[in-house]
Amino acid sequence: MAALGYIEILDGKGSVVERIAVDSFPVTIGRAYSNQVIVSDPFVCPLHLKIAQHEQGRLLASDLDSVNGSYPTAGKESVTQWELQSGSQFRIGHTVLRYVSVDHPPAPTLVDGAVKMSLLASPYAAVISAVVLVLLLCLDGYLSSFERVTVAQIISEPWVTVSMLATWAGMWALASRLVVSRFNFAQHVTIACIALLTISGLGVVAEWTEFFLPRIPMLWIAGVFGYGLVLAGLVYGHLGAASALRRRSRLWAAAAVSLVVVSSSAISDFAARSKFSTIMEYSGVIKPIDAAWVPATSVDEFFGSSEKLKSELDKLTKKAKASH
Amino acid sequence: MNRLLAACALILWLCVIPIIRASQAQPVPGTTPEIFKQFSEYVVKIEVVETGSAAKASTGTGFVADPSGRIVTNYHVISKLVHSPERYRIDVIDVAGGTTVATVLGVDVVYDLAVLRTARRPKGHLDFESKPVEQGTRLYSLGHPHDLGLSIVEGTHNGLLKHTLYPKVHFTGSLNPGMSGGPTLTQAGKVVGVNVATEGNQISFLVPAERAIALLERTAKVETPAAAGFLADVGRQIYDNQSRYLAGMFDAKTPRVVLSPYNLPTRPTEFFRCWADAVRRKELPYVSVTHDCSTDDYIFVSSEQSSGIVRFFHQLLSTSELNPARFFTLYSGQFQGGNAAMFGNEEEVTPFRCQTRNVATANGKLKAVLCARQYIKLPTLYDAVFRAATLGSRNAGLVSTLSLSGVSFDNVQGLSRRYMENIKWQR
Repeated sequence: MAALGYIEILDGKGSVVERIAVDSFPVTIGRAYSNQVIVSDPFVCPLHLKIAQHEQGRLLASDLDSVNGSYPTAGKESVTQWELQSGSQFRIGHTVLRYVSVDHPPAPTLVDGAVKMSLLASPYAAVISAVVLVLLLCLDGYLSSFERVTVAQIISEPWVTVSMLATWAGMWALASRLVVSRFNFAQHVTIACIALLTISGLGVVAEWTEFFLPRIPMLWIAGVFGYGLVLAGLVYGHLGAASALRRRSRLWAAAAVSLVVVSSSAISDFAARSKFSTIMEYSGVIKPIDAAWVPATSVDEFFGSSEKLKSELDKLTKKAKASH
Repeated sequence: MNRLLAACALILWLCVIPIIRASQAQPVPGTTPEIFKQFSEYVVKIEVVETGSAAKASTGTGFVADPSGRIVTNYHVISKLVHSPERYRIDVIDVAGGTTVATVLGVDVVYDLAVLRTARRPKGHLDFESKPVEQGTRLYSLGHPHDLGLSIVEGTHNGLLKHTLYPKVHFTGSLNPGMSGGPTLTQAGKVVGVNVATEGNQISFLVPAERAIALLERTAKVETPAAAGFLADVGRQIYDNQSRYLAGMFDAKTPRVVLSPYNLPTRPTEFFRCWADAVRRKELPYVSVTHDCSTDDYIFVSSEQSSGIVRFFHQLLSTSELNPARFFTLYSGQFQGGNAAMFGNEEEVTPFRCQTRNVATANGKLKAVLCARQYIKLPTLYDAVFRAATLGSRNAGLVSTLSLSGVSFDNVQGLSRRYMENIKWQR
């Protein structure tokens, strides 16, 4: 018997995970093995939904008094009965399904090469970003040394970072394979490279800012905020390639991970700061630039502001006396 | 004739024997055994005892310095009690082993002296030498080195040290830890100085007797020590002293040294010592030239604090090989690292607080850092480090550091300012 249509089980991004041919109506959907469409979702009832054909071939979906209800496309309210159009999605439990009739027009065929792939997913992007990263790491290694170095030394330096990055991307690729059945290795490599490049860019900006404007208080807070954003972006990107989570869930996950990491490092930083130490901590970045470009305060201002230093020390002394 | 000679010889013999016998039994006056025998009873051992554990925290020596039985010793021997009177007591142990508890009547922290009193009445005391002592005069120092028992050390008087902040007698003899506070005597038993420090190899120092006399006079009327302790007094003495010796330091008349193209301050007064060095190694693509000056002398405040140390350090870095980015990695690293720590503990000092600015001086622009910390028990005093790096050049730079300990905040600001203004260079 020729199929009348198909029920498709979709993942979070709308890709078909499973396709079941419908030979006759009515069709029942649920967890029970007596159904034509069996959905292994614990939030779906054994007998959850029935699709039946009415006059003039109209299809009606009816909720079979399920615990969690049935939701037509984009609907937030559960509906007991609605008319099912070919190609329309609906949700039962945590599973999204779609019905398509055999005469449903398929999407036009894509011409190979004419469609732009997501830039992130392209293997070229991965190669280019990795090469840029390696070159930058070499340059950084060279500029941050002041002893005589050979080309071999400079080239050999970034490989620790690169292999760590490859391992990181590989772990995410493995997770992707398990969750969305694709490795997406190139995409993970690109995302990690972009995050590292952004962090080193932020580092450069931070150093120059510190050099030009050493008096800006709480510059480190801006730094922490910047790193937090990069971390959130990294998690968001990886989750996009490794899961079927919706955009909003990914945002929440990224924000949560970033918040946890940033706040725990801020707390340990604060704990280290409030511990007694005989070490002088000061920002001492100096950059090779013509002195005319450097904003500077007068000698009077410098020693005038040292009064603040004195009152800060007075407070510390009072605190120490009170605690002894 | 022969009989007469024999009789004379016999008489002479009979006269001499008792003298020889007597000299075998009795030390000849003025010899070391005699001095030890005659004066050791006025020398006492001083122990600072931690009252909680009844264990001694430090030991030293002292001597009875006047008829009323007051004892002179070093401030550093009893400084623990001054800083934490509730935790320590002073035991004075005489030659016979008798122990009495002592109270502090007064201290001179600058010259490292203290005057104590015990309840016991002494049998006698040591006198101070009132006449000038010539260089080369034989001296005898008494004390308890390493708690090994009372010892006597011979040495010579080598005059007052010329280039020190505080007058000190140069004593060529071996003083050892534990002898601090003991007397150094002439052959006649007169005190010329109080044992205070050693630099090893028979180079030792004494506090001149007149400082001890002055402290005894100053404390003559003190019957009962001030209940508030001496800490405030210690703070005041150091404060007054640093105001005196730092006044005018690094003014316009300061001698200068040229580390081309920089023209920098050097040896501001006679009590500084300066050294210079250069690192030009083939394997290094840069050259480092250093010029380092520091005061010889310091004031002992407590076991972890000292006052009066002024040290400054110029480091000129230059390269003809490194590009500006790589040279500035080195330069920045030198500015941020290196001797950026001082001794100290939480009970005595606050942590450091620093400020960094780019500063435009009359000579050009500098990256300047001022770090300071306060003494918790002596809050008029601070330790401070001022560090500056010249800006603008692409292949040369100067990092200059001034560090001060135990000075007022006014002096932190004033000295750092004059020091900064003394860093000159050709652009």
